[in-house]
Amino acid sequence: MTHYTWHFEAVWENLPLLLQGLWDTCLLAPLAMAVGLVVGLGVALLRLSGVWGLSAIATGFTELFRTTPLLVQVIWVYTVLPLLTGIALSPFVSGLVALGLNVAAFMAEIYRTGITSIDYSQKQGALALGMTRAQAMRRIILPQAVRRMIPPMTAMWVALFKDTSILATIGVVELMYQARVVASDTFRPLEVFTAVGIIYFLLTYPQALLVNWIYDRLRVHS
Amino acid sequence: MSVTWDLGVVTHNIGYLLAGLRMTIVLSLVSLALGLAVGLAIALLRLSRWRALRWAAGLYIDVWRSTPFLAQILWVFYALPILTGYALTAFTAGVITLSCHASAYLAEVYRAGILGISPGQRQAALALGMTNAQAARRIILPQAVMQMLPAIGSQSINLFKESALVSIINLQELMWYAESLSGFTMRSVEIFSATALIYALLTYPQALAVNYLHRRQRAA
Repeated sequence: MTHYTWHFEAVWENLPLLLQGLWDTCLLAPLAMAVGLVVGLGVALLRLSGVWGLSAIATGFTELFRTTPLLVQVIWVYTVLPLLTGIALSPFVSGLVALGLNVAAFMAEIYRTGITSIDYSQKQGALALGMTRAQAMRRIILPQAVRRMIPPMTAMWVALFKDTSILATIGVVELMYQARVVASDTFRPLEVFTAVGIIYFLLTYPQALLVNWIYDRLRVHS
Repeated sequence: MSVTWDLGVVTHNIGYLLAGLRMTIVLSLVSLALGLAVGLAIALLRLSRWRALRWAAGLYIDVWRSTPFLAQILWVFYALPILTGYALTAFTAGVITLSCHASAYLAEVYRAGILGISPGQRQAALALGMTNAQAARRIILPQAVMQMLPAIGSQSINLFKESALVSIINLQELMWYAESLSGFTMRSVEIFSATALIYALLTYPQALAVNYLHRRQRAA
């Protein structure tokens, strides 16, 4: 091990840049989560619609986004999509679209498995009690399904929070992007990347603990 | 706006993409093997009777799981050599990061699998006259491994997809070739679409296998 003098001034002096990046990270994550929750629900409903064409499209969407690397999706949306549609998107919007759709594919599976995991007899019982299908869904199936969906959704949120860093590759000015800029400007990659790793850890770890707590709290005993 | 697709640019350069794919597969397999081994060691430390070892293993798991992979690969490639004085090749840095990252997740898979076996199984084995080691080898581990297989499969898929990020330190794997070819040929539409397709074709069978393992486990 060589002797090395740490120079954390490189981090302190550029803290405003890093915090500005952090702001975008904290903006992107909830936006992508919102896109994922809404689009994912739509995809799940299409998949469960029972109409062959619609459910095939929904399945294709889900499988494509779940079987390719997020980096490929991000770069595809940023460089290829504008050529196909003729609409150029800013890095921020491209990144949001790619990340949001990626999350939507995983969310769709969470919604779907949540709904289909509820035993069929629950629905039969509700119908036998004179409820309509809509009532059975709203009062009997969804309340039980939501309880099973929330834990994996919160885990997805933590993964998504970390994945925002991948958007640095298309020039979204979030924390990881600023880290690379500061590291190369100051020639202090050790201090800068260490500090940024600590920032991500301090933000992600409490969320991970919260996810564990939610898993314990909402565990279904069957 | 309509784009005329020129798939010739893909077939003409398929050799480069396949060379990249080969690197992606080698990188993933080596990292998976190391990740499985290191993960097991970390899981055993996490279950050890000494508090300091449990704590250290827990910290290792939490650090690797609570930071983005991109931050990890940049740290290992650019920051770690300053600390140790040894420069790393892109391949070594990629293997270190991918396998450590995977080992943290795999350690939790192992731990859950081992703790998931009811203590009655071990007690019954001991009552039949087996030693502790025999009980672990013949009774507990075979059941635990079956429990763990689906989760290990999921982690292997994640690792395969995450390997694309190693292109950022210029390791010449599939994504790196895709980005270079896209720059050279100016045909990003065809190159990136073909690359996405290659990843999907390789990941999808793995996903089907994992689904099969999940179903079989639920049936059991």
